[in-house]
Amino acid sequence: MKKYILVAALIILALAVLLPFASSDPDGLENLISTSGTQQHESFWNGLMADYSVAIGNPYFSTLLAGIFGTMVVLLATFVLGTVVAPKEKSENVKKI
Amino acid sequence: MHIPDGYLDPTIIAITWAVTIPFLIFAWKKTKKTYSHSIAPTLAITSALVFVVQMINFPIAGGTTVHVLGVTLLAVILGPFPAMLSMTMVLLMQAFFFADGGLLAFGANALNMAVIGSLSFFIVKLLTRKTSSNKQFASSVFIASWVAALLTALATGLELGFSKAFAGGVMLTVPSMVSVYAIEGLVEAVITTALVTSLQRLQPAVMMGLKLLRGSEKL
Repeated sequence: MKKYILVAALIILALAVLLPFASSDPDGLENLISTSGTQQHESFWNGLMADYSVAIGNPYFSTLLAGIFGTMVVLLATFVLGTVVAPKEKSENVKKI
Repeated sequence: MHIPDGYLDPTIIAITWAVTIPFLIFAWKKTKKTYSHSIAPTLAITSALVFVVQMINFPIAGGTTVHVLGVTLLAVILGPFPAMLSMTMVLLMQAFFFADGGLLAFGANALNMAVIGSLSFFIVKLLTRKTSSNKQFASSVFIASWVAALLTALATGLELGFSKAFAGGVMLTVPSMVSVYAIEGLVEAVITTALVTSLQRLQPAVMMGLKLLRGSEKL
């Protein structure tokens, strides 16, 4: 388990290091929406932290905090998913089917 | 790559949900049958990695940016069915907390990224069928990642193009999405192959996907 926590910490560190290099220009899909002349919509659901930012001034820390929050939420949600979906023990013959 | 709400027609929304749900149920059943509980930490860590890489947009030609999808990585490490479930969970968290991808469009986004992407495992399986050579494995992962990115882009293009709410039609959306992701797919392929081959060297025991490919575990 220690190893997993170390890797999780490394993932967050990678986020902190790479974030300044991330581009905020529109992605392929957003670009297509604006260049195709499609009428743009306000979404009815804006999430809790739209565009991966929390309400603080500094854009780097705003996105970093949102990212760390998201990483934690994903870790928790997928860990629960993994434990719920897969049974505790597998007998060998079940495994071989 | 995450389709927001408001751009897909109700028919497309209905079709994509109708295709996605049976896949997810099947994936759930398969995972339940094949895996034990011990998959959970690996599943959580790889999903967190995918969440983080999807936050990093990088520019490609023409003022457009993209992010790595990461789903072939999940599929090769975890196997296709848990990859489908965990990618869906990542997309759900993105849509719910960050409004990245719509809620009505969630069926389409899960289909494009989680379902289609995870099935790229079978490309690797097909290409490595007769061999356990590591080189062949690495090149198969490379090809599968690239093809997965293309197919994801193709599906997204079709869904948008066939929606009347979206101006332009498939003749605009498909070439546009596919050309962007043909380039993104190369970056995706390099990163996926590098991570997968390093993990194979360092920690092959956690790679259920590899065991499934090598036949020491069966789906």
